[in-house]
Amino acid sequence: MTNEKMYDPFEGFKQITEMLEKQINGLLFMATDNNEFVRLANTGLGVHSRYMELLRKNQELLAGFMNIPTKNDVANVANLSIQAEGKIDILEEQIWKLQDNLGVLNKDNLELFQEIIKMIKQMRSEFQKTVLEISELKTIKEDLHELRKGLVDIKIIQVNLRDLKNELNEIKEAQNELVEMYSVSEMKTIHPDIQEVKLGLNQLTEIKNEIAELKGLVVKESPKGKAKEKELVTIK
Amino acid sequence: MLNTQGSINEFIPLFDFEKETKRWQQVYKIVNEPKPDIIPTRREAVWKKNKSTLWYHPAKEKKYKIPLFFVYSLLNKSYILDIGEGSSVIGGLTQLGYDVYLLDWGSPGYEDSNLSIDNYVIDYLAVAVKRAIRHSGIQEISLVGYCLGGTLAAILASITDLPIKNLVLSTIPIDFSIGIVPNKWLEALQNGHLNFDRFADVYGVIPADIMYAMFRGLSPIYISPMVNLVTRAYDEDYVEKWRRMDKWTKDATPFSGTAFKQLINDFYKENKLIKGELMIGDKRVDLSNINCPLFVLSTSRDTLVLEPQSLPIMDLVSSKDKTYQVVEAGHVSLALTGMFSIIADKWLSSRSEEIQPVFT
Repeated sequence: MTNEKMYDPFEGFKQITEMLEKQINGLLFMATDNNEFVRLANTGLGVHSRYMELLRKNQELLAGFMNIPTKNDVANVANLSIQAEGKIDILEEQIWKLQDNLGVLNKDNLELFQEIIKMIKQMRSEFQKTVLEISELKTIKEDLHELRKGLVDIKIIQVNLRDLKNELNEIKEAQNELVEMYSVSEMKTIHPDIQEVKLGLNQLTEIKNEIAELKGLVVKESPKGKAKEKELVTIK
Repeated sequence: MLNTQGSINEFIPLFDFEKETKRWQQVYKIVNEPKPDIIPTRREAVWKKNKSTLWYHPAKEKKYKIPLFFVYSLLNKSYILDIGEGSSVIGGLTQLGYDVYLLDWGSPGYEDSNLSIDNYVIDYLAVAVKRAIRHSGIQEISLVGYCLGGTLAAILASITDLPIKNLVLSTIPIDFSIGIVPNKWLEALQNGHLNFDRFADVYGVIPADIMYAMFRGLSPIYISPMVNLVTRAYDEDYVEKWRRMDKWTKDATPFSGTAFKQLINDFYKENKLIKGELMIGDKRVDLSNINCPLFVLSTSRDTLVLEPQSLPIMDLVSSKDKTYQVVEAGHVSLALTGMFSIIADKWLSSRSEEIQPVFT
């Protein structure tokens, strides 16, 4: 059943019309392909154009008399709105440019802020370091203050020592005088004085030891102190 | 007896009553029903100027980074590129993963009588391309021109500094010295014996009916579509496509008088485009300025734009990556069947920066 050929009356009709259409169009194509026809068409076009011009002119004239708008008037109004549209477009494009520039500026600002934040962080860490250093300096200052006090004490001791030295010199002079005297009686009277001098000498050696100890402490406490001490000594 | 019956049936084919009833029911329906609505592929308007609209058709599933920008002819309506689901060029391309922009020129009104080709290229096309680029957020775009839209696209590509990544031109007239009208008519146009200036001036905008009549004048006897319809009226799919095609064919568009004069004088009469003498705005159109990848498509059964009219562009451009292809189709059927989307995709896919899927 499927192999049975069904009758379609339009298949043949289609083929015939296609052929005819092609042939007639070809015929018309050839018939119009001559200068006379082109001239005729051009004349027809000119006549039609002149007629239309006249019609339009009269239309305008009549509309003017009747004081009613023509298509031209409407077109002029429409052109105004088209111009406005164009101007809005230009403005929109300028806004784009501004937006773009603002975008670039924002980007730059963001970068700047990031840099500032970075700098602030750095400054913060440096500030913390400085605070630590300052506290260290304070302790050094305190140390120096103590050292100065120590130096004052040393100076006092030095003065005392100088006095003692003078006294020793006087004692030595007295001893020399005593040696010259050779007298026992005198010796007996002088003996308690010698005892006093001996006691004085013992005290002097004790003071010397103390100074030595103090010096040792100063050296241990700070090498700067030593320098400072030297400085002080040289200033003196 | 049976043998005799069999031989008669072989000789006289059976008449299918069911098929014939359906055929005439469909014909009755077509004659009485209004013309079909053309439902476009999902779209949104990006920009409007005067009667023109820039449409954006997003990809169903974006596969390619570079979007496509379609420019259609000024002489017909652009919905032929999006004629309905299943046969839409734009629908096909969005399905394949392209973002598509379409510049619909719209129908000029009487107020647009001063619109020239210069205006169309500079004030409309270039601006629309710029807007599409901005809308897409991508730095480049592929320009796709169809018919006279292709000519405009080529003109723009040769005078603009817009970032055109690829140029696809389908059935474009470039050499206007070759025509589809009789030779004597072309000669008369070229030597000024046939002049349309006064006609264009008096009308301002050439009405759609006159434009339709001019196209009909190229093949005055035009009964084959009706015969084709009656022949295949039983086939619902064919009838649906036929109705859409019929609507588009008769839905002619008016044409600005200034642009019409320019088309006749600068293109047909003096053939300035191919000679490199055409001025658009203050720029000379030199097709050798085109150096982007180029794809030119011609159709072998084209009766509106002949293959030799498109071919010269291949030698005029500076593009190193250029492809020319002739397909077995007609001028309109290439778009009507959606075939164009498949052919264009083959060339564009490797030049549109495929987005690599990210697997998570």
